[in-house]
Amino acid sequence: MYHSVLAKIDLTSGTTNLISLSEKILQQYMGGRGLNMRLLFPSLSRPGDPYAPDAPLVMSHGLMCGIPSLGSRMNISARSPETGYLGDANMGGELGAELRSSGIDSLYITGHSPEPVYIYINNGKVEIRDATQFWGKDTVQTQVKIRKELGDDQIKIGCIGGAGEKKVRFAGVRTGLKNMAGRTGMGAVMGAKRLKAIAVRGTNDISLFEPQEYMACYQKIFSRLLKGKWVQALGRMGTPLLMNNSNSLGFLSVKNNQSTTFGDQGKNLYAEKLEKHSAGMVSCVSCPAHCRHRFQIMDGPYAGTMGEGPDYASIGSMGSKIGNSNLESAIYASELCNRYGIDTISTGSYISWAMELFEKGIIDESVTKYPLRWGDQEAIIKLIHQISNRQEFGDILAEGTFAIDTLGPESDRFLLKIKNLPIEMTDERATKSFALGMATASRGACHMRSRPSLDVIGLPEELLRKVFNGDISSSYLDYKGKGRIVWWQERLNALCDSIGVCRFLSVFSSPNAPQAEQFSELMYLAFGKRFTEDELLDVGERVCTLERMIMIGNGLTKDDDTLPARYFDEPVKEGPSKGEVIDKTEFNNMLEEYYALHGWNNQGNPEPETLKKLGLSNLSTEEISFDKN
Amino acid sequence: MIKIKTFPDKCSGCHLCEMACSIHHFGVVNINRSAIKVKKEDLTNGACEPVLCRQCKKMICMESNDHDFSDYQNQFSWDKSFMDSCPFESIFLFKEELYHCDLCGGSPKCVEVCSTGAIELRIKE
Repeated sequence: MYHSVLAKIDLTSGTTNLISLSEKILQQYMGGRGLNMRLLFPSLSRPGDPYAPDAPLVMSHGLMCGIPSLGSRMNISARSPETGYLGDANMGGELGAELRSSGIDSLYITGHSPEPVYIYINNGKVEIRDATQFWGKDTVQTQVKIRKELGDDQIKIGCIGGAGEKKVRFAGVRTGLKNMAGRTGMGAVMGAKRLKAIAVRGTNDISLFEPQEYMACYQKIFSRLLKGKWVQALGRMGTPLLMNNSNSLGFLSVKNNQSTTFGDQGKNLYAEKLEKHSAGMVSCVSCPAHCRHRFQIMDGPYAGTMGEGPDYASIGSMGSKIGNSNLESAIYASELCNRYGIDTISTGSYISWAMELFEKGIIDESVTKYPLRWGDQEAIIKLIHQISNRQEFGDILAEGTFAIDTLGPESDRFLLKIKNLPIEMTDERATKSFALGMATASRGACHMRSRPSLDVIGLPEELLRKVFNGDISSSYLDYKGKGRIVWWQERLNALCDSIGVCRFLSVFSSPNAPQAEQFSELMYLAFGKRFTEDELLDVGERVCTLERMIMIGNGLTKDDDTLPARYFDEPVKEGPSKGEVIDKTEFNNMLEEYYALHGWNNQGNPEPETLKKLGLSNLSTEEISFDKN
Repeated sequence: MIKIKTFPDKCSGCHLCEMACSIHHFGVVNINRSAIKVKKEDLTNGACEPVLCRQCKKMICMESNDHDFSDYQNQFSWDKSFMDSCPFESIFLFKEELYHCDLCGGSPKCVEVCSTGAIELRIKE
């Protein structure tokens, strides 16, 4: 489809090899998440140490990055220090597009550098450079200083802050002012490798198969997309628009999921309240929707705080999740996390866990040294500093799920987690499809692997049947057909993550949004290769099944496709979703429906014919080296 | 005559205008090979601004050169000697080539892909 180049970089020896990826591997995995999983499969499909020198860290841009498209996203993947299992994080911004223009499409990084370094990619050349002078700098300072050193303000950078350097298990990789490969601790893997950043400059032409026709097709898709109410609202308010729905319907995590609505206090966190701090909206490369604010807080105790965002996940995690209804402090806390380079979602989750432990008396000031009360802005900010710098109680929380080893077995059940990744800013007891999606997500509790939002907008069953090709209840409280919805959405999202398309611009809240049919048209005109819709959805299925094989190789089973005990045992106590709880039998039925649609058996193991159909039969036994592909 | 008017406050920095320009003129995607440039304060306040030829009535860019402006007004590639001639820094050098907005012959492609209204076509009698 195009000449795709992988740079294999060993930081221990400081050597680099450039390898051309085969047409076959591109057609099967496309790029981004899919390609990363294929490249990682040999090392990631058996247990291992995320910090071992030979543990690879992989970065690839999505196939459609760098050209007019629907976003421009890339993935960073490795064994997760936060979970011990599959680590993978997707991010927008400008880095993916710049990689595409640079002529280096994937990085496969192994080894530990003896000294801090960064990787500089300039139009096909790869250089490992000294980063001693940047070590200790935050994620914005690092980007500014690297540009200055290289004398080019157009360079795009993905970097870690102090938290990644100190191997905080949920440190991420940040680019620009907003975007972050946030979840599963990819920044800690960079820290272990003493890799401060990758800096990329690309000015190469990107050829299109039929350039003028491509633009005509793109504009047709783009115009239709922009007429949609969802994209219009997203462009005006950003993802914080979801806060209103979550709070008023009882989908929100409040005080570590002890409640699912923040009531009137939650209104302080609504998108409308963010608008007064906004100076305009910004986009990722190739995105016509522009879903994030550029903000500046002009007055009050947090005056001077500026940046891009924050998104719904960060407001929820630094807000309702930890009992904080002060929007400005949530923005400030989110920005602090960004500067240190820690995932706002996991950070909020671990803080909320600690606050509930404090509330229940399982830990006290002899451990924390200061009270940890819901919504205490000073304590929240202090704790973020301590986590990021691995100081005092923060050093314990910096271990994420592994902090249970220190805080004791009694603390375990209050950390709501799936496959060692904590539950996020939402609660899924009411929304049955969302609950299943969290339980099955390949990287642990994650709303981005599926989150089939069509389930919660009240579409008639007739339309649902047409979209999903099966019987689906139109009530989000109901279990019927929800295994199907999650399977359908997982497959599409895996495809989007592999071609670099933003899931908000595909089927998220509109059944008419661009999907395989439109991707197929665009890909033919861009690359000259015609994929049927089924072939594209098979790419998504291949990625999901490959990830399943990785999970199984690490000893995960059907028992791990589950939810925190609170979801099964504690009906929601109050608010609009009062009484909602997950029924174990119904959940299991949903799970087995989902397995069957993926072509996996009732224990979640892919059937031999599924592996054969997807071209995965030999991968399970063969020790495959990516450069032979 | 037509002009492209810019509204920096509305620019989201998506780079689609630059891509549309390079595709129209060269048949490839390259945001550097474009006569419109999105300037971004991407590590400070996030502000963006589309910059391109303002179609000035009095072309200051021509003053220091002994040329007839009408030869250049509708041309995309300009001689490199004009490099520093625009007081608004709205012509762009890339790999020894200088690019000037030729309005795509009357139907600017950048405007067609701007979803925010940051660049708009103005037609004056």
